[in-house]
Amino acid sequence: MKSQHLVPLLLMSWWMAVAATPAPAAELAAVVARGELVWAADQEGGGPHVFPDPDAPQRLTGFEVELAKLIAAELGVKARFQQGQWDRLPLLLGHPADCVINGIELLPERRRDYHCSRPYFAYGLQLIALRDGPLDTVETLAAPGPAGRWRVGVLTGSAAELFLRSHSELEVDAIGYDGTIDSLEQVKSGVLDAALMDDCIFNFYADRFAGLRAVGRPFGGGYYTVLTARDTPRLSTAIDEALGRIIADGRLKTLYDRWDLGGRQQILALRDAAEIPVATRRSLRELAIETLPLLLSAAGMTVLLAGLSFPLAIFAGLGVALGRLYGPAWLRPLLTTCVEVVRGTPLMLQLYAIFFLLPQVGLALPALVAAVLGLALNYSAYESEIYRAGLKAVPLGQFEAAVALGMTKWQALRHVVVPQAVRLVMPPVTNDFIALFKDTSVCSVITVIELTKRYSVLALSTGRIVELAVITALLYLAMSWPLSLLSRRFETGQEQRP
Amino acid sequence: MIDIVGLSKARGGTRVLADVSLRAGEREVTAIVGPSGGGKSTLLRCLNGLEAFDTGAVTIDAHRMQPGPHPARVLERVRRDVGMVFQQFNLFPHLSVLENVALGPRVVSRLPRAEAHGIAEAQLARVGMAAFAAARPATLSGGQQQRVAIARALALGPRVMLFDEPTSALDPAMSAEVMETIVSLARGGQTMVVVTHDHAFARRAATQVVELVAGRITRAGPPAEVLGE
Repeated sequence: MKSQHLVPLLLMSWWMAVAATPAPAAELAAVVARGELVWAADQEGGGPHVFPDPDAPQRLTGFEVELAKLIAAELGVKARFQQGQWDRLPLLLGHPADCVINGIELLPERRRDYHCSRPYFAYGLQLIALRDGPLDTVETLAAPGPAGRWRVGVLTGSAAELFLRSHSELEVDAIGYDGTIDSLEQVKSGVLDAALMDDCIFNFYADRFAGLRAVGRPFGGGYYTVLTARDTPRLSTAIDEALGRIIADGRLKTLYDRWDLGGRQQILALRDAAEIPVATRRSLRELAIETLPLLLSAAGMTVLLAGLSFPLAIFAGLGVALGRLYGPAWLRPLLTTCVEVVRGTPLMLQLYAIFFLLPQVGLALPALVAAVLGLALNYSAYESEIYRAGLKAVPLGQFEAAVALGMTKWQALRHVVVPQAVRLVMPPVTNDFIALFKDTSVCSVITVIELTKRYSVLALSTGRIVELAVITALLYLAMSWPLSLLSRRFETGQEQRP
Repeated sequence: MIDIVGLSKARGGTRVLADVSLRAGEREVTAIVGPSGGGKSTLLRCLNGLEAFDTGAVTIDAHRMQPGPHPARVLERVRRDVGMVFQQFNLFPHLSVLENVALGPRVVSRLPRAEAHGIAEAQLARVGMAAFAAARPATLSGGQQQRVAIARALALGPRVMLFDEPTSALDPAMSAEVMETIVSLARGGQTMVVVTHDHAFARRAATQVVELVAGRITRAGPPAEVLGE
């Protein structure tokens, strides 16, 4: 590799490492001085944990909102909520959050990487399926279903996902979602065979999903814990002691009873909670052996998404540009409106509509197809604008010379104008291809696990945020570097052409 | 062969052509002269439908064009029989010289590639550009580019050739080289209409000269009569 390539590569890796290293966390004294305990959670995760109050959506409610207030009051401060994406909440520790209170399961890996408080809630895993569907017991998952392997939705990075991934003997494809309601919606619309989640979540939403039922009793399970950073031992101890007092004087039982969470059973389960062991730290070699295949296959998904969607975007974009410039008069405002709507709405929303809303009108697309279509649709709007500029940049004399030879309008475009426009727009189009590579990460909202998502899941499960960030950055660079070189070649080619 | 009757055209409220009538027979060379902005190029562009006109009629060979926008079918037929050479050459920069000339036969006449290339080579030889078949247009001089443009128009075997100030963008040496090509075509019996400022050329090659001033024909007749000896 040439040194001019090596320098930005190293800079990038260094930046990733710095960006991924948590800032020093605020200790107890700083929290008290500030007068606020900043606790992180994801309101998209839903009830009964943390969710917008249906009667006043600007206000948050949930049993963890009340628990956070109780803990903060014990520390003599106020509680302040910090929103974050659930599977990345621990990244907020130190800055801007002091602790995470959001159904975080107590696991050996978490005990190794963070400070985990004493448990404050006991959960079981509940399988949920269509009321009249073929799944009637959990054991059914051991054999293939009528359509092959069972498709089961889980919250990405949750204990439910870990359970399914560690039970490879089950005939199950675990599909990761960013929110719990999403997977229930997908079971309802028939895209998924079942969902697996903490029992309290389904109990909370059961009325809204009357067509779904709990399959068998809750199983597996464990405890929720309050996460704090490893470098705030005093804050961790204070939170631990606060929880002890809230449990001992019955306030936690009262809180759980008010939320219909079985206060007495919870307190008994917490009393009998066994000590969770601390996971051992893996060597870099072990880490690489364990994570590299997963990261590489996720990188493969990134390449697949970009490689399939971009050609579609280019062809659609060119078609739209031609339609807007040369199509019939009635078509032009229609295409202009389409371009403005697509450009004016976020890619995430478009993916969401294709994947979650189309099944409700009877068109359920596989996640990969939905992702490719969504990316192609979004980028086609941008490509069409680039092509429009390219087509307009070809001198009118070229078109006139072609039609003067007796070519039809479309022959002149096909043989004379479009080939020249394509050459003109090559550099910006290649540039967009690189951007698309990185935008594929948005597809995780519709369960497609590509490189960024895989990184964030692995970083949390292994706690090796920095090392994995560097590996991931290098993989992205390896993918986009050839495209950058290609783009530069096109540009040089154009400079040489008069 | 060419019959223009009462042609008028306005653009943005301004009259560009006013009641222009003109006849030219087969093998005739008509030179259109006159000051800039007099409507010469517009008249020429009306002959192959690059511009529509408001009143009058144009008949070229068996094709008749009426006022208003021309139907695509009429235009395609007219243009197959009427070749056009532009002031700015308008060669296709993404194609080689050979492909520039072969594109018409290949796309418009739907000939196989080999046959189209054969025609292109013959036309390039006719204008003395055979040695440059593989070159890109951008590597050629202006005079060479214009000769390729002439070969490109000839490749479809047009019955009439239109030249729109074919040497205005060229220096005198290159201009002479292109004029020689056009004169030899004229001597070969090609019917043509040439918009030009070059009176020497008009005297040498034209069978009739038409002077257009402010959209009206002010003088018309044999070169010696219109331009003087």
